[in-house]
Amino acid sequence: MITLEDVSKRYPNGTYALRDIDLQIDAGDFAFIVGSSGAGKSTLNRLLIREELPSTGRVVVDGQDVARLKRSGVPLLRRKVGIVFQDFKLLQTKTVYENVAFALIVTGHDGRTVREETERALGLVGLTGRRRHFPRELSGGEQQRTAIARALVMRPKVFVADEPTGNLDPVTTWEIIKLLVRVNELGTTLLVATHNAEIVNALRRRVVHLDHGRIIRDEREGLYAA
Amino acid sequence: MTRIAYVFTAAWQGFSRNPVMSIASTLTIALMLMLFAFFVVTDRGLQSAVALLESKVELVVYLSDDAKISQVLDVKARIEKDPAVSRVEYVSKDDALKRLRDISSRRADVGPIEEIGTNPLPASLEIKLQSAQESRRVAGELRAEIGNGVITEVVDNPQIVDKLLTITRVLSFGGLAILLMMLFVALFVIVNTIRIAVHARRDEIEIMQLVGATDRLVAAPFVIEGMLVGIFGAALALLVLFTASGPVTAALVQFLDILPVSLGPNFVAELAAGVLGVALLMGAGGASISVRTHLAK
Repeated sequence: MITLEDVSKRYPNGTYALRDIDLQIDAGDFAFIVGSSGAGKSTLNRLLIREELPSTGRVVVDGQDVARLKRSGVPLLRRKVGIVFQDFKLLQTKTVYENVAFALIVTGHDGRTVREETERALGLVGLTGRRRHFPRELSGGEQQRTAIARALVMRPKVFVADEPTGNLDPVTTWEIIKLLVRVNELGTTLLVATHNAEIVNALRRRVVHLDHGRIIRDEREGLYAA
Repeated sequence: MTRIAYVFTAAWQGFSRNPVMSIASTLTIALMLMLFAFFVVTDRGLQSAVALLESKVELVVYLSDDAKISQVLDVKARIEKDPAVSRVEYVSKDDALKRLRDISSRRADVGPIEEIGTNPLPASLEIKLQSAQESRRVAGELRAEIGNGVITEVVDNPQIVDKLLTITRVLSFGGLAILLMMLFVALFVIVNTIRIAVHARRDEIEIMQLVGATDRLVAAPFVIEGMLVGIFGAALALLVLFTASGPVTAALVQFLDILPVSLGPNFVAELAAGVLGVALLMGAGGASISVRTHLAK
C-alpha cells in the first residue's frame, strides 16, 4: 500500500529530515512510527499526503508515485489518505456533525451521501450523541474522535495518525488507541506516529524506529525501545 | 448540489462576517466605478463635441475675377466629388461685399466701407469637411491648382485642425491611462479584501486541502465573494449616477448649450453594462489572485 524507496528529504539549510529510507507497508498493516521529536516522523507523514516532496527517492501510495502527481491529482491522493494530528484541526465555528460532513461536502458528495456517511462515521467513533456540540464544548478525547470521524468519513485506504494522543491524558489515550485498532480491523492500513512507549509496548505491533532521519529498527511485534 | 450550496453560503458568510471590511471595500469599489462612469461619460461627451467641432472645419478657396462661370462650376463639381468633403458653397463677389457691410454695421472697429468705389472682394468657394484629418490633403490638392486661372488662393486653418486632433488624441490616451490606473486601484482593493478573507479562513482552507478538496472548490467561495463586492459596488455606483444624472445633465445643458452633444441612444444601457462588467471582472480577477497566491504557498 505504501512504498518508500531510497527516500531522503533534505531542507535548503542542508539538514536531513529523512535519509535513505526504505519502507514497505502492506494493505491492512498496523505500524507504529516511533522516535524522539525531530526524528523525522512528521516529515514521513507529510510525504505521504504530498505536503512535501522527497529530495531523492520514490514515495508510492496505492500504486501512485506521489512526486509525479500533477497538482490536480493531489486532492485525489488525499481522499485516499486520512490524517489526524495532535492538535485535532477542527473548525471551531462548526458543530461535530458539520466538521465531519464538511469533508464530504467539499469533496463534492451529494446530500444523501453526506448525511448517511456522516452518521456512520459518528456512530463508529461513538459521538452520535454529541453531534450538535461545538469543539470547545468537547473533551480532548472527543475532539480527537471528531477528527478521526472526519478522516474516516472519506473511507480512506490509509489512515495516518500524527501523535494522535500527544495532548490527551492516559485514560483518553487508550480510548483513542482502541478506536484506531478498530479502524485497522475494519481493513484500513494504519500508520501511527507516536512517542508514547506504553501504548507501543502494550499492543506489540510493527514498530519502525526513526532516529535522526534514518530507520534504525523495523520489527514485527516490536517494543518501543529495542 | 451541496457543493454549490457550500460555495454560496461560504461566500456570503465571508462577506457578512467581516462587515466593516466588506462595506469599506464595496464603497471604495463604488467610488472607483463612479469615477470610471464619470470618465466614460466625459470622454464620450468630449469626443462627440470634438467631432462636432471637426465638422465645422472649413477651407476657403478664393477665385480669380477673370474665371468663367463654367470653370468655377467645374472646380466646384470636382471638389464635391471628394469623399472627405461634405458641402461646397459658392459665395459671389456681391455676397462677400454684403457680408462685409453686415459686419461693419455691427462692429465699430471695422469702420465704414461706403467710400469703397469698386468691389475689391473676390468670389470664393467655402468647403465644409467631413473629417478634420483630411483638411491638409484637400487644401494641398487645391493649392496645386493656384495660377491656372481659376483659383487664386486657398485658406485653411492648419493650427486649429491640428489642435483639435491633438485634443482628441490626448483625450483618448490620457483617458485610457487614467482608466487603467483606476482599474488597477480597484483590483488592488479587491485583492486586499479577499486576502483578509482568505486569512480569516485559513484553517478551513487547510482542512479542505487535507481532506482532498480541489483548488477550484477552495477558491470558488472567495471568487464569488469578490464578485459580490463588485456587484454591490456597481449597484451603488449606478444608483448614485442615475440619481445625479438628471440635475447634472440639466445644469450642463444650460452651461454648454452651444454644443448640442449627443451620447448615442443606448448610452445608458451600455454604461450600466460596462460598469457592472468591469465590477464583476475586477471582483473575480482580484479574488482569484488572492486565493491562488495563498494556495501556491
